[in-house]
Amino acid sequence: MNSIDRMLATINHKQPDRTPVYPIVSGVTRFLNNSSYYYWATDALVCADALIKAQELLDLDCIITLTDLSVEASDFGQKIVYPENEAAYPDSSDHLLKSLDDYDLVQEIDPTSGKRMSEHIKLCDILVQRKGSKVPIIAFVFGPLGILSMLRGQSDLYLDLYDDPASVHQALEKITNTLIRYCDLLLETGIHAIMLDTLFASQSIMSKEMWLEFEGPYVKRIAEFIHSKGRMVMIHNCGNGIYFDAQIEMMHPEVISFLHIPADCESLEDIKDKYGSKTTLAGVISPAWLVSAKTADVEKECKRLIDIFGKDGGFILATGCEYPANMSLDHAKTICQVAKTYNPYKK
Amino acid sequence: MSELEILSNLVETGKSKEVVQKVQELVDQGYDTNIILNQGLLKGMNEIGLKWKAGKAFIPEVLICARALNMGMDLLQEYIVTQPNQKEEGFFIGTVKGDKHDIGKNLVGMMLKSKGLKVVDLGTDVDANAFIAAVKEHNARFVCLSALLTTTMLYFKQIVEDFKQAGLREQVTILCGGAPVSEEYSRECGCDYYRNDALACAELIAELAKE
Repeated sequence: MNSIDRMLATINHKQPDRTPVYPIVSGVTRFLNNSSYYYWATDALVCADALIKAQELLDLDCIITLTDLSVEASDFGQKIVYPENEAAYPDSSDHLLKSLDDYDLVQEIDPTSGKRMSEHIKLCDILVQRKGSKVPIIAFVFGPLGILSMLRGQSDLYLDLYDDPASVHQALEKITNTLIRYCDLLLETGIHAIMLDTLFASQSIMSKEMWLEFEGPYVKRIAEFIHSKGRMVMIHNCGNGIYFDAQIEMMHPEVISFLHIPADCESLEDIKDKYGSKTTLAGVISPAWLVSAKTADVEKECKRLIDIFGKDGGFILATGCEYPANMSLDHAKTICQVAKTYNPYKK
Repeated sequence: MSELEILSNLVETGKSKEVVQKVQELVDQGYDTNIILNQGLLKGMNEIGLKWKAGKAFIPEVLICARALNMGMDLLQEYIVTQPNQKEEGFFIGTVKGDKHDIGKNLVGMMLKSKGLKVVDLGTDVDANAFIAAVKEHNARFVCLSALLTTTMLYFKQIVEDFKQAGLREQVTILCGGAPVSEEYSRECGCDYYRNDALACAELIAELAKE
């Protein structure tokens, strides 16, 4: 099986030849072509080169184009900070929306006119051309509420949800329309799936009801659009106690990439029982744990996860969030090695 | 329902304007300011903290509650007479160097406040020297470190080490928290305590402060 066959088998809940693997290696790949974080994140050629090098070095079963969560916000007009050794983030001292009165500043934009979104489209194009025939290429897109939080600041946005929900919805509508156009352009490159980051569908942030009111309807439209183009919808959500049920209801994702036990489950085994046949589970190695883990512990943890989740497919061995951006790739190599060699389901 | 219970409920449900009105009414009626503070304002914040801990309230609810509390306290402050030699112990909180995420840190501050404790917020992107300088200046006993990233949580170790170098490690209790942090990692860094949510952190500090 090549990586596309392997991923398709597992997503269709058939036993693949081995567990597909993708420790979400993003920022760390910049070391493979000695690029700065800034150029890696903002130059499609540099980023594509690094991601491809990582895919070939580790024999990864897909490529996810997660650079940072500021891509879309930057093009909506948010000032972004680009630190030397970590992912870009919005300038919290200079948010685009400084008060409730500023919500009108959020307007639909043409993704091809924004530097970062257009580079991301270009990145997907390069990856599809160079790797797409054998390796699934998955474009990473931040969800509408996440983008709005980048423009307004999280704390202020949470207060606005109470103070002026109509303005929030109005902005979300415009962001969603832009994202649908953006997804269309990404899909035109030939990518296999889009991974939507729905960070806010989590107990660690807001209630399920609030998420269903403020993001559910918007991501539903985006997911329906992606599916209408015959491509897969994937979700990434590394929050604590995420709402699997609500997100599945809204987006019918083929894959959910997650870090913590969902709100309605008690254990990893429980997740496999409850959701193992409804979607494909990707995770759940903790990147923070990896920082101080020993090789033997990583091997043990990977085997444990394959034992719990791997039966009958529906599982991708992965980190539950981005692989630490300043760590060596040694643990990523170990994770991939275990996926390739440990196969209790081999017939 | 008593007047103080009404105030507590208004705080809990984040009704800022009504909280200010009610505080003014109670002051005008001659209620003791400490009673208004403890049995009205702080009680409401504490209630939402408990609901948050139980998974029945979430960050947005906590934030509107905190806003109502702050507005009520701002008004009440005008009527509180402080004793000339009264010195409150401060609890220093900050998000560590390289990290601009402040929600977790702010929530810890709010929960500490709901326990009636004085919080000194050093802000975000705080380096070891700033923590040490604050501890020296105020002769403080407690420091709370926050980080949201795997790249910035690494700085905890440096801060602990620098406190040792400054000869202050025995004086301060160092607590840490943040999404990627774990009990195990906290120990590895040499921190004294780790808590995985803001209320648990505030409860721990409130207990430790009694010692």
